[in-house]
Amino acid sequence: MSITAVEAWVEAPLRKFVEEAHTILGLLLHPSGQVVAQFGFVRAVDVMSACALAAAIHASAGELGKQLEGKAFRGLHHPGRDRQLYLAEAATPRGTFIFLTVFDQESSFGLVRMYFETMVKDLVAAAPATPHKAEPVLEDRFEHELNRNLAALFGRG
Amino acid sequence: MISPFGALLGTLTRLRGVRASLVVDENDGIVVESNLQIGQDGDRVAALAASLYRKARLSARAARLGTATFMQLEAERGRICAAGHNDLVLVVVADPAANIGMIRVEMIKAAGALP
Repeated sequence: MSITAVEAWVEAPLRKFVEEAHTILGLLLHPSGQVVAQFGFVRAVDVMSACALAAAIHASAGELGKQLEGKAFRGLHHPGRDRQLYLAEAATPRGTFIFLTVFDQESSFGLVRMYFETMVKDLVAAAPATPHKAEPVLEDRFEHELNRNLAALFGRG
Repeated sequence: MISPFGALLGTLTRLRGVRASLVVDENDGIVVESNLQIGQDGDRVAALAASLYRKARLSARAARLGTATFMQLEAERGRICAAGHNDLVLVVVADPAANIGMIRVEMIKAAGALP
């Protein structure tokens, strides 16, 4: 399966996850909705939609968790009839990412959750030592950066 | 809360050489209930054993061997045994020297009692 990444260091952990967990789609993104890496997607517009929805769901679930338990929910599993979705937070030295993956009967929630935990450890180990300066995502730059990342993933500049 | 699987898992864990026993959802690979010794990672065992059992069951069906009743994996430092009923799988992790005949009999009996 083809994996494309805006930041090269995430590629190896993601590739290992895909090979082991046998999931269909995967998306690593910043909580702002900016895509970092993807596998299984064919069209940039689908990545854009999935990123926006994943960021929104993560933010909503986080806020719901804070209101219910005083801390944000970190993972969400949605079982559909044929396909299932797992959305979870991956904390690394380069910041917190959101990971979204879709799987079918070739895998299971238990396996996906297990290999996700391994992937997070791999991401932590692979994160570059140079400190990452998190820049605020500004509304006027958001679309430009989103388009730049999508172009990097799908090869259209 | 009284668990429906507590007594069943207790019986299996008391067998000589048994390190862990779990009831796992076959489709999700998620632990329903477990009886583990210290140091056992129930979530990992459950996810992998359920996946293995599911594939073994499907292989048996594909080969027209009928319903799979018992699966055993022998490794250098132990064994994993699984027996299923409906959507649940009973998983046991045992030492290499464990009495596998006794474990098999008890597991098949216990699997039959699963809902």
